Amino acid sequence: MNNKYEIVVGLEVHAELSTKTKIFCGCKNEFGAEVNTNVCPVCMGLPGTLPVLNEKVVEYGIRMGHALNCTINRATKHDRKNYFYADLPKAYQTTQDDVPLCANGYLDILVGDETRRIGITRLHIEEDTAKLIHADEFGGTLIDFNRCGVPLIEIVSEPDMRSAEEAKVYLETLRTILLYLGISDAKMQEGSIRADVNVSVRPVGAKEYGVRVETKNVSSFSGVYNAIVYEANRQIEVLENGGELFQETRRWDDAAGKNVLMRSKEDAQDYRYFPEPDLLGYVIPEELVEKLKAELPELPVQKTLRYMNECGLSRADAETIALSKDKAFFFDACMATGKCGPKLLSNWVLGEITRVANERRCEISELPLTVENLVDMIALIENKTISNAAAKTVFEIIVDKDEKPADIVKAKGLAQISDTSALQTIVDSVIAANEKAINDYKGGRTNVLGFLVGQCMKQSKGQGNPAMFKEMMIAAIENS
Amino acid sequence: MDKLYSLSAKSMKELLDKKEVSSVEITKSVIERIEKTDKDVCAYNSYNFENALKNAAAIDEKRAKGETLGALAGIPLAVKDNIHVKGLKTTCSSRMLENFVAPFNATVTEKLNASDAIIVGKTTMDEFAMGSSGESSKLAVAKNPWDTSRIPGGSSSGSAVTVAASQVPFAMGTDTGGSIRMPAAYTGIVGLKPTYGTVSRYGIIPLASSFDQAGPMARNVDDLAMLFNAVCGRDKMDAVTKNYTFEGYGDSVKGMKIGVPKEYYGEGVQPAVKERVYAAIETLKCQGAEIIEISLPSTEYALAAYYIIQCAEAASNLGRYDGLRYGFRGSNTSNVEDLYLTTRSEGFGDEVKRRIMLGTCVLSSGYSDAYYKRAKLLQQNIAKEFTDAFKTCDVIITPSIALTAWKFGEKSGNPAEVYAADICTITLNIAGLPGMSVPCGFDSTNNMPVGFQVIGKKFRESDVLTVAKCYENAVGGFAVKEF
Amino acid sequence: MKIDIRHIAKLSKLSIPEDQIERFEKEMQSIIQLVENLPEIEGKATAVDTENTMELRADEVVASASREDMLMNAPQVAAGCIVMPKVVE
Repeated sequence: MNNKYEIVVGLEVHAELSTKTKIFCGCKNEFGAEVNTNVCPVCMGLPGTLPVLNEKVVEYGIRMGHALNCTINRATKHDRKNYFYADLPKAYQTTQDDVPLCANGYLDILVGDETRRIGITRLHIEEDTAKLIHADEFGGTLIDFNRCGVPLIEIVSEPDMRSAEEAKVYLETLRTILLYLGISDAKMQEGSIRADVNVSVRPVGAKEYGVRVETKNVSSFSGVYNAIVYEANRQIEVLENGGELFQETRRWDDAAGKNVLMRSKEDAQDYRYFPEPDLLGYVIPEELVEKLKAELPELPVQKTLRYMNECGLSRADAETIALSKDKAFFFDACMATGKCGPKLLSNWVLGEITRVANERRCEISELPLTVENLVDMIALIENKTISNAAAKTVFEIIVDKDEKPADIVKAKGLAQISDTSALQTIVDSVIAANEKAINDYKGGRTNVLGFLVGQCMKQSKGQGNPAMFKEMMIAAIENS
Repeated sequence: MDKLYSLSAKSMKELLDKKEVSSVEITKSVIERIEKTDKDVCAYNSYNFENALKNAAAIDEKRAKGETLGALAGIPLAVKDNIHVKGLKTTCSSRMLENFVAPFNATVTEKLNASDAIIVGKTTMDEFAMGSSGESSKLAVAKNPWDTSRIPGGSSSGSAVTVAASQVPFAMGTDTGGSIRMPAAYTGIVGLKPTYGTVSRYGIIPLASSFDQAGPMARNVDDLAMLFNAVCGRDKMDAVTKNYTFEGYGDSVKGMKIGVPKEYYGEGVQPAVKERVYAAIETLKCQGAEIIEISLPSTEYALAAYYIIQCAEAASNLGRYDGLRYGFRGSNTSNVEDLYLTTRSEGFGDEVKRRIMLGTCVLSSGYSDAYYKRAKLLQQNIAKEFTDAFKTCDVIITPSIALTAWKFGEKSGNPAEVYAADICTITLNIAGLPGMSVPCGFDSTNNMPVGFQVIGKKFRESDVLTVAKCYENAVGGFAVKEF
Repeated sequence: MKIDIRHIAKLSKLSIPEDQIERFEKEMQSIIQLVENLPEIEGKATAVDTENTMELRADEVVASASREDMLMNAPQVAAGCIVMPKVVE
């Protein structure tokens, strides 16, 4: 990247909402159903049909608006955006134009060690389009209307991002918020989040924005990153070669890793917005707006900061937990018991527990593991009743069965031995059996100590306190 | 009993209730009447005779068993060809939908079915309801029963004609700028455009969604009320409908204040029409109404505001006819872009194309503020003027239309002049008010029917029908064309 | 106002033969004329009429229509879908 230039990025993110039904009809909103089965005259856009707005869509939109610190327009309405495209059966999309549901918000994101505030211009609700399936065997294109009328929110940011990395973090943060709020499946691979990326470049220090180019059809995190880097480089190259940039729309080709011109400014769409005459305006009760605000959970960035500042977790650990609703909710539930500390807990959540969940391809919340059993087990480690090695044995059991860790420790005799005389016997026998290692240690190769302690642990069948072994071993060798 | 077809719906109902005739007998009589006369008046795009007879037999059976019957049980009627009746074609008299079979019922149809009415066919109309003469139909072109060389008025031309020619007692039309009231006036029958939001629009192919309203057309006020009562009310499929119950009507205008706005009696209104409407007002005055002169100054801008909004909505509503999913498919199918162009250019008639382009134009970037947004503001002003006027009167009376039925082809080539003829009716659609055309004699120059329009406050159909009923009684009923 | 019929036709996805452009232009001009007479009124139409609002729908599933009914007017159907000419992007 040429460091004479600054990149300016704004994102338009579309997310499908996970309501039970579509936005304007009672057809099921589900991914992966057999083609054209979740359809009716309304979502097929047959002549004579009318939309009736789903109240849940409005509610979900307001939730997201609150999460993005927006003003909620309690009196709002819908508009038609007219254009011809094969996936749009009415030749207009029912969306919101001049009175979006939410406006003027912001989202704080963590980039490197910095908190960056990204302005949110607006958030509105609208309908998704049909899916076109290119099928040469039928000599054309097939239309599946299952997705047609699935509710979307569109979140438009200010041009406040200054790198591809920031845009990627912004998108990831948005995605996590959608999951936290439980309003979207937010699966990029299923197309439930899609982004249009606006990029411009300007000489470092310049006040005016450069010419903005929109790249459409970006549907992965890496795609957003790559699309921005590609477009910024393309623009810089044009400028460096003395060329001129045009306000145009380009299409991202993820497989090829490049974009191609879709529409020049001359062909810019004239959407001819006007108020949707099939719907009236509506006023959202203030109580509902307030209730939804009160129900807002702690959001990922706040969580990350809390984990760092109050729990003392590293930035990386804090973020990894907070960016996953599943991990974060489990972590918080454990912390809420007050029975264990955060550090060991975060190691377990990010280590063993995540490993098992990944192996089983499920969420932590779907494991039989209970919060109580886990925190009891960690408390046993923390008060040195059991070693980490013994804890693994306990974990293998409690991950599947609701058994009390204390009972398991008792039944299996896993409690750590801290009785000095019992440990001394083992230390002595290890010293006797490893003359060479002892000499090596005395000769300065102190790293054999680990091996010797390991031998002690082995003899104690894992029940010896490794710290005490280490201490006693050093004392014994030095005194010999 | 002969001439069953010519009875009023009310008489049919009485005979049916007394079991003096069966619905099959009435329906057969109606079918014979249509078969005999429709080649002359061309009211229908398609017939539903077989189903009608089957349904009539089923209702006779229900009646015989003593089951509860709907309010229109066994009475035949027709619906305009932009209202979906599942399994029948809905063509909008357009080549674009010539073979489109409705896969679902309009709410109006559901309500008619629930009332046990018998739908005998789909009546012709101006193409996509765009027109006030009936001439823009690309299928049947209906003719005025009073003089078949003259237009019946539109866009609900077929519904007006089938009622006026005594083929059926009543029919459903739709009204966006006068499409029920104008043909009613031209053919000498009654027609009601209800308050916007009283009759569901679901399953009716729209012209301009914020103006469209379906309503009844009949030869007398009682029949009209009967049909209106069957189809009105809130529908959860149409978000703009309100909880509405028709409160019935009286027959006395004693003490009622009737506003007469001078702007509706200007130079554009033919003297013969004015004369008849003034006479009607005089009749009502003799019945005890108080006549008040009022003013609605924004009327002169109504036509422009109306056409801007109507065409804008129509252009958007008609975007979906692209040859991809249903309806007419154009000749060039090699790629989607060409398919759009050939489908729309070959499938739509000139009047439709003209309005699509006008609507596209007034919404396009750079024009929207000067045209569409200004029209919306005018709409608010016009509505407010009516609200203010209704502080001094209960109903308002105007001519239904400035002139009487003209000869086919007489006004082609000057769309602006034809549009201007709508001036008396469009203001109600702009303001969402109820209005009814009531026959009031004949134009002394050509013997064609004249109608006056009664305008009521929002949701006050009761007032409108009371005035109409009082007038009907005072003049001893409306003339019916022997045909 | 001058009406660019070719541009408007393109936006409307209509192809108007060259020999008809003038006629359409004239006809539309006469209608636009009506509009030109609109008064210069002040103000802006209210965006949301809070006196006339609608009820929203509960998020409850209603049985979908049969695919057969929904596709019965389609010019061509294959694999449960409407077939149309290939979309070239």
